[in-house]
Amino acid sequence: MTVLDIQNLSIDFPTAGGVVHAVTDLSLQIEKGRRIGFIGESGSGKTTTALAVMQMLAAPGRVAGGQIILGGTDMLALSEEEMRLSRLSKVSYIPQGAMNSLNPIMRIEDQLWDGIIAHEPTTTKADLKRRSDEALASVGLLPHTARLYPHELSGGMKQRVCIAMGVTLSPDLIIADEPTSALDVVTQRHVMQTLKDVQAKIGAALILIGHDMGLMAQSVDELAVLKDGELVEHGDVRQILEAPKHPYTKDLISSVPLVGGESFLDPAPAEPPKGRGKPGVPLLAFEDVSKVYGNVTALHPMSFALDGEVPKIVSIVGQSGSGKSTMGSLMLGFNAPSTGRVLFEGQDVATMDQAASLDFRKNVQAVFQDPYACFNPFYRVDHALKFPFKRFGYATSETQTQQAMEDACVAVGLDPALILRRYPHQLSGGQRQRLIVARALMLQPKLLIADEPVSMVDASLRSTILKNIHDLKDRHGISILYITHDLATAYHVSDYVIVLYQGHVAEAGPPKQVIGEPQHEYTRLLIDSIPWPDIDRGWGTPTTEEEDAARLARLAEDRQTVMRGDIPGFTLS
Amino acid sequence: MTSIPLAYLKNRLITLVLTILIAATLIWIIPRLSPVDPAEIALGRMAAGAGSVANSEEILAQLRASMGIDAPLIVQYARYIGNVLVFDFGISTASFPTPVSALIAQALPWTLGLMILSLIITFIIGNALGAFMAWDRTPKLARVAIPAAMVFTSIPPILSGLLLMWIFAAQLRWFPLTGSYGLNVEPGWDWSFVASVISHGTLPALSIVIVTFGFWALGMRGLMISVQGEDYVKLAEAKGLKPRYILYKYMIRNAILPQITAFALKVGLLIAGQVLVERIFAYNGMGKLLYDAILNQDFPVIQGVSYVIILMTALSVFIVDLLYPLIDPRIRREA
Repeated sequence: MTVLDIQNLSIDFPTAGGVVHAVTDLSLQIEKGRRIGFIGESGSGKTTTALAVMQMLAAPGRVAGGQIILGGTDMLALSEEEMRLSRLSKVSYIPQGAMNSLNPIMRIEDQLWDGIIAHEPTTTKADLKRRSDEALASVGLLPHTARLYPHELSGGMKQRVCIAMGVTLSPDLIIADEPTSALDVVTQRHVMQTLKDVQAKIGAALILIGHDMGLMAQSVDELAVLKDGELVEHGDVRQILEAPKHPYTKDLISSVPLVGGESFLDPAPAEPPKGRGKPGVPLLAFEDVSKVYGNVTALHPMSFALDGEVPKIVSIVGQSGSGKSTMGSLMLGFNAPSTGRVLFEGQDVATMDQAASLDFRKNVQAVFQDPYACFNPFYRVDHALKFPFKRFGYATSETQTQQAMEDACVAVGLDPALILRRYPHQLSGGQRQRLIVARALMLQPKLLIADEPVSMVDASLRSTILKNIHDLKDRHGISILYITHDLATAYHVSDYVIVLYQGHVAEAGPPKQVIGEPQHEYTRLLIDSIPWPDIDRGWGTPTTEEEDAARLARLAEDRQTVMRGDIPGFTLS
Repeated sequence: MTSIPLAYLKNRLITLVLTILIAATLIWIIPRLSPVDPAEIALGRMAAGAGSVANSEEILAQLRASMGIDAPLIVQYARYIGNVLVFDFGISTASFPTPVSALIAQALPWTLGLMILSLIITFIIGNALGAFMAWDRTPKLARVAIPAAMVFTSIPPILSGLLLMWIFAAQLRWFPLTGSYGLNVEPGWDWSFVASVISHGTLPALSIVIVTFGFWALGMRGLMISVQGEDYVKLAEAKGLKPRYILYKYMIRNAILPQITAFALKVGLLIAGQVLVERIFAYNGMGKLLYDAILNQDFPVIQGVSYVIILMTALSVFIVDLLYPLIDPRIRREA
């Protein structure tokens, strides 16, 4: 039985610069109980299409043509009040709930109840309580969660609350918009399993919006591939993964970096560039560095020395809260260590004089996660490139500065004519992040600290940006510390990998050993949790959340470090 | 369950005491930086009255002794802090020999009544208008009319006061022109007095309301717009909640939080800010007291009034801090 029937749907966004066709002539049917994935880049129209079903297009979007029939009802013909009543009861929406989807000043149960009351105003208090408890139990949350406020829950728990809300009135269709993209890989697996379970229980159809081919392969029955507002391919997920027809689908599948898979990097040059460090002195060293926040130890004492003579990429991987970003901010001198010393070319970063500090800033550059927050919206993007270039004394003339900016843009694959002289908001997230890499290149640092540089950019651009970063090492001799939660990219780009768990090193060594053949139980758990874009491979050994929690608790007590071999120029102790 | 954590309470109490202490110290230091000698002013006043003063040096010394400004600074300071704690600010030089605390005690209730009432009215009207300006379901006409009403915000309070006086007191004769109560009634808790106070207070209050509601409205509008973009508002709509319910429980309820802090800060500023309003309406409150004291270089009164302003600000911030955990659950954990 067809639950949702979309016929020739077109959606327009009239803007000052003309009409943007967000979705063009899209037709699609979804059967009862089926799970369908909408995959595509940001701006491909996947969320817009799904929101049109609920008539919740962001202004000034409007349906320009076509039909949306949900369970026999023409959704576009409904009055405002009828539409309101259909939401949640016929079609529900599950947002990316880990962030900010719950009202911060209302208890969880109140936020479940108000949805029920808005549709069934006569429900008694006892009935509400029973139904909210049932809904919470169905997503694996304990009854006391009902009385808590959102800030008292973890990201995974908040996501479960959002799922519970979505199923309280047993809708015919559930739209889940990137429900796990803010969760770490271990939590993602459990939340996704919960979503599939409750969806199967109420027999609703599910639209899963996302950009992760692996997650899709493990979660949906059918796949709809969208590009620039058009449905380019739709069919059974296995058929699409194994024999994609459209070139764009092929691109999407082949651009996913896989552990043990083919490298997306350019081959290394025959003659590797010399490193930029001084001989004999480690470029960066930790001497028993630890960091304590209040009564939480974010990083237990750790020592390592990285020499700069042979450029290399060291990856630091782990879940959120593992201490990897703390390491990054210690290295950048943004945070002082609680014990121990951070040394840059033999000098303590915390006690440097002004001249040494300027030299340190010049030689240690950073790329951060959020390409939106890295630019001052007030200035043209040139400013972000030009200002440090002049400040650090590289500039000799305006023409030379201009030339350096243009060269750096070209080196990261951007067209200077299209990029320079524009304001940050006029560029895409990917363009901005590549500009930050270009800036790092212009300033010719000895060391680059890249903290989750690609987690906020589209999947298809990730490998390009990582390639740019990798080129900094391969062509320019810059050493890089790459902080990430993504083991697959760490596998490809790094020379050495450190796996952190609760501020301890769990496993460390060359990536082929650590990620390719993990020995530590924590590394294995992380790798098991990665969804592979391969249906036959399955999603790791099936484990319950309790089993994984017990595994993690065991690991927290029994701290051991598995060392998997060394590489020249890096010592960890 | 909805209780205030002890550590949080302790924290805020220390802040309160420190604020008052530092402020009291500043109030003491600042007039001492002025080259003006209050004893000489008092003498000048006597001279102006009597034509000339014999033994002026001796009288000057005596005046200094009675004002306590002949002692070493540290003694003066210790004495001052001790006195301030019991609200003893000395004797007014302009209305010698009335104690400053008596002058303040007389003026304070008038100001508290008028100012706090008008602040509350402004707060409610301003925030409601701000919320409706931002809400996408407000009728178009209202969304045009509200910003137009903001024109009043740009009128200085003296002008709006004069305008109101001219329309409602001079032309329509609905309200009395000036004063805090009628000359024909005796102060006391009876109806004729209360009615007189209300009719005298209406115009000053109104003149404050019409010039200040814009501050709240514009602030609230900005807050509402950012709350409107929050994911939880989008989800509330996807849950099929009624638009009005979303407006109150999801939008206004969250947007109002920073406004409440601003409210606390405004309480103290009001006295200082509404000096002119009290002046033109000849309203016997703290503002007028301060205005007269500045004109007369009456340092003890200036000090006393400043101290009360700071005390009120600090206390209202303290009270709001105590209320905050009850209206924003996130604060409970932060403590």
